[in-house]
Amino acid sequence: MTFARVLATEFLKLRRGKVTWLTLAAFSLGPAAIALMMWIVREPGRAAQLGLLGTKANLSGLSATWPAYFSMLTLMVGIGGMLLMAFIVAYIFGREYVEGTARNLLALPVGRHWFVLAKLAVAALWWALLVGAVLAESFALGAALGLPGFSATLAVTAVRNALLAAAIAYLLVPVVAWIATLGRGYLPPLGFALAMLALGNVFSHTGWANWFPWSIVPLYIGAIGQPVTTIASSSVVVIALTFFAGVAATIAQLRWADNAQ
Amino acid sequence: MSADTAIATRGLAKRYRDVLAVEALDLDVRRGEIYGFLGRNGAGKTTTIRMLLGLIRPSAGRVEVLGRRVRPGATAAFAGVGYLVETATAYPNLTVRENLDVQRRLTGAPRAAVAEVIELMRLGELAERRARVLSLGNKQRLSLARALLHRPALLILDEPANALDPAGIVEVRELLRARAGEHGVTVFMSSHILTEIAHLVDRIGIMHEGRLIEELDRDQLLAKERLYVEIGVSEPARAAALLAAAGFARVEQAGDRLRVYDADGRVPELARVLVGAGLDVTALTQAHEDLEAHFLRLTGGAP
Repeated sequence: MTFARVLATEFLKLRRGKVTWLTLAAFSLGPAAIALMMWIVREPGRAAQLGLLGTKANLSGLSATWPAYFSMLTLMVGIGGMLLMAFIVAYIFGREYVEGTARNLLALPVGRHWFVLAKLAVAALWWALLVGAVLAESFALGAALGLPGFSATLAVTAVRNALLAAAIAYLLVPVVAWIATLGRGYLPPLGFALAMLALGNVFSHTGWANWFPWSIVPLYIGAIGQPVTTIASSSVVVIALTFFAGVAATIAQLRWADNAQ
Repeated sequence: MSADTAIATRGLAKRYRDVLAVEALDLDVRRGEIYGFLGRNGAGKTTTIRMLLGLIRPSAGRVEVLGRRVRPGATAAFAGVGYLVETATAYPNLTVRENLDVQRRLTGAPRAAVAEVIELMRLGELAERRARVLSLGNKQRLSLARALLHRPALLILDEPANALDPAGIVEVRELLRARAGEHGVTVFMSSHILTEIAHLVDRIGIMHEGRLIEELDRDQLLAKERLYVEIGVSEPARAAALLAAAGFARVEQAGDRLRVYDADGRVPELARVLVGAGLDVTALTQAHEDLEAHFLRLTGGAP
């Protein structure tokens, strides 16, 4: 089956890439940093003795509890995830142009759409593994800190929120993939992702927040104001349209546009 | 287009805004032949090759490869095509073997094909090395190995001898000759190394400013290899007049030298004419004009 063959090559490329492990290392720092803040809040005296940011942590108004810990975790997966996913997809698609290998793929007896679908599938799996690893790390660190206020309901809600934020972050990246193939490299998609993140922040403060794709995650996870409990149906439609438009545009770019790398 | 044609283009053109990179190109490459595609930088060779491979869309005209029309996104035509476009590239983090394995999976070639092509291109000692540590020449070998891996019926090669050392160039020449001779593979190749092309091809096409300005078969190519005598002499203009008067009809002045194209067997007489007239002859060498000189004359380069 063609898709399986293409997918196997994409996994091989990914397995051998240092970026795979770098993203895991970078994303793992998030829960560690949150756990450190929790510890500073709980132990301000010892933190001050060690020269850590005790004063600032106290000023943030955080409490060293599981609900606060999970809330920050969801923020990290949502906002950090949108950036990290953009980075991953920019790498997966952009490397073919940066390394000059795109032209080696485009005159083979393999439909070009399979490359797009396989790369997005690999990105999805990579992202799922990262999120899974970070959630596991978070639970382990929270337990090690002995944070109060844990309950099974709270944990299920936190995991559900983090996974939903991660899923939305993923559904927005086909547009980044399109920018990577259009711009033939890493910088255009990363610039685009940063611009969308900034715009998303701006739109979050307006009545258009439910309609602008990059505002939906900040709105949902409470990066701006209080987190919302359900995603508006208009937002679901916007996210779905963004995903399919991104996939279609990336396939069309490879299929129809000049690939004079 | 006939069944024995491996590549056929009709009215093929590519325009980039104000620049017409390729214009009304009608090309027929027969199955089993080695076709050399020549041209100076910017002549339209690589643009043509990219259109043959469906990497860029023609502004006009059509392309057929191995009897199938090349259209955007239509990939069936490429099942029998191995290719190399411009510089050799590979996934730097993958080993030579893994790079070839990517190609094997994508072309549906059998597992054994990787080992075969590693041996064929003498990449055995480098098989487990990452592509990023390879020299340019070895990257070129890897790219050629990738092109050959699925035993294509047609090879489209853009500058296949790039970065290869002289031994490597001869090796690739023999390899391509063997592929064409023993396996009936059609080879369409561009090159800047004109002497190399002259030794290898059955036919050449010369591109200039986006147009195919001449096609020559092997016999016509050999006929271009004219013998001449080059003379370094004081007062070349007077010497040319003296030689013309002595019956040498094809005398050309090239800078401060003269080239006499009909001096075969008459070199002693030629020397006597010049010395007898009191001219100083500083050099007298026999040489032959080759494809390179013909190419440069056609495309407006220095003689």
